[in-house]
Amino acid sequence: MASISIRNLTKRYGNFTVIPDLNLEIADHEFVVFVGPSGCGKSTLLRIIAGLEPISSGDLYIGDTRVNGVQAAQRDIAMVFQDYALYPHMRVYDNMSFALELRGTPKAEIDARVKRAAALLHIEPYLDRKPKELSGGQRQRVAMGRAIVRNPKAFLFDEPLSNLDAKLRGQVRAEIKALSQELKTTMVFVTHDQIEAMTMADRIVVLQSGTIQQYDTPEAVYERPANQFVAGFIGSPAMNFFPVEWRQERAILSQGGTVVPLGEETANGLRHAGRAVLGIRPEHFAVATDAADGITVNVKLVEPLGSDTLIHFDLAGAASIARVDPSLRPKVGDRINLRPQPGKTHLFDAANGQVVR
Amino acid sequence: MTDAVNTDRWIRWLNLVQLVLAGVIIMTPTVWMVLSSFKPSFEVTAYPPTLIFTPTLDNYVELTKTTPFLSYALNSLIVTVGSTALGLLFGIPAAFVVSWTRISWPAILTLAARMAPGTLFLLPWYVMFRQVGMIGSYTALILSHAVITLPIVIWVLLPSFDAIPRSVFEAAQVDGCGVTRILWRIALPLVASGIAVSAILAFVFSWNYFLFALVLSNGDTKTLIAAAFNFIGEGSTQWGALMAAATLIALPPLVLAALVQRWLVSGLTLGAVKG
Repeated sequence: MASISIRNLTKRYGNFTVIPDLNLEIADHEFVVFVGPSGCGKSTLLRIIAGLEPISSGDLYIGDTRVNGVQAAQRDIAMVFQDYALYPHMRVYDNMSFALELRGTPKAEIDARVKRAAALLHIEPYLDRKPKELSGGQRQRVAMGRAIVRNPKAFLFDEPLSNLDAKLRGQVRAEIKALSQELKTTMVFVTHDQIEAMTMADRIVVLQSGTIQQYDTPEAVYERPANQFVAGFIGSPAMNFFPVEWRQERAILSQGGTVVPLGEETANGLRHAGRAVLGIRPEHFAVATDAADGITVNVKLVEPLGSDTLIHFDLAGAASIARVDPSLRPKVGDRINLRPQPGKTHLFDAANGQVVR
Repeated sequence: MTDAVNTDRWIRWLNLVQLVLAGVIIMTPTVWMVLSSFKPSFEVTAYPPTLIFTPTLDNYVELTKTTPFLSYALNSLIVTVGSTALGLLFGIPAAFVVSWTRISWPAILTLAARMAPGTLFLLPWYVMFRQVGMIGSYTALILSHAVITLPIVIWVLLPSFDAIPRSVFEAAQVDGCGVTRILWRIALPLVASGIAVSAILAFVFSWNYFLFALVLSNGDTKTLIAAAFNFIGEGSTQWGALMAAATLIALPPLVLAALVQRWLVSGLTLGAVKG
């Protein structure tokens, strides 16, 4: 168990810089999720921590030890790969015991640890099978078992759920979360799925083009996104954005001139900024009975999800979504009055996307 | 529907015709060689060739009486096994490293050496081996035949190593393996069939190689195929004995290929489709 410290790290492939200058502190026992779109550098960063990619410049510490030049084999890190990377020629038992055997762990202890991990992951019946005889979910568990028998300084997960079907993904997600609480080990998890990030992380690192956009708790990232990129990336469906201006003591959509009723804090922010981008999450629209209290929109598409209903509409030239109560039973062509919930709207600088407070 | 069935039937017929044609072209010299080895001497070169004859073992008897056939066979075995072992010893790690580092020029270099005519090496080798007093030694023959076996091992194994997902090697690294241990514990068991195929092919090619043994061997170390050349004389050629020798020389590779033919095909297509 150890903290991970990344200081002024850069990673280049030839002339192409993947990670320009990155600083990150992951505390001991913390579950941190790297999230971001494809190509943002999250997997590269994880592989750097694992020792599978060299660092171009900067420092990487695991615990108190600088590990820049330390081989993966010597870092005492366990990793679960996207394709599980089980050893095809070894039985499940041997897959799990291999690392311990390499370290010269006594046979009796290996046996005890493998069986304990197998029990924890419910894979005891498969210990004598080869990986090809297992389902995707079982292989995933074996890959986790291979990691946890080692009792490493940190666990690294590289999109381990992306090959599972939706139901199994939800189940394994919960299991990993429970496991992290039981093992109390530093865990770094890479995903492009923001739901995985939100549900599992103690803290989320949102990455874009190798740069940390925000590093905070899931609640903070959701409620107080640092910039428009984070606001758009975290949350499903994504946040709606509208360019707005402050005119005649009112917030007005730049395109179309519709007046937007805003809470006091956001209104003050816009008053100072003059113009900005207004962000409203689909779930932060309320349905107003009176047209004067909200923005009237034409329903273009309805997606009933059971617990909620999503309505699609165009506003100020932008395709937008609102999440409403299913009892509303909206239909295509309906005109609905939507009002942003006070205190739940966000303002971003129109030029650099940073949050306007 | 009927058209499709007809087309299908035609394609099957054409496939059969192709296979029969290819079989006839490939097998005719072999069958002719084997039959001739059992013919009386005067019938071997008879024209038109006789198809019905009284089989005899005279050619084989003459072969063993007039030549130290078994010692030549032993020489062939020593040189072939030695050069195959040498090819595997260096070829397996070479193929692994080429696959691991994705630096392909060493593999291309060995392929170029394999493609080059043997005579290109012969003169410098002759001079070198003579200077160190190794002409006629097994070592010289084994080393020279490694030029044949090494590229085969490398190029048959490369796709096998390439077919192993990179992440499996990385998992082994994270588990605590260095490169040597990854090769030994992870990669080798996964390319076992590829190794068998490369060993068989290396064996067959080395066994059949004629030129180096002709020049670099002496009377004691002459391989079968070089010895068989002695039957071709300037005035007269002992065709019957030559056919018997050729049949016996061809036997080990043929038996080997027949025994492992299924493995051979699957091994050669390893890496073509990722499982």
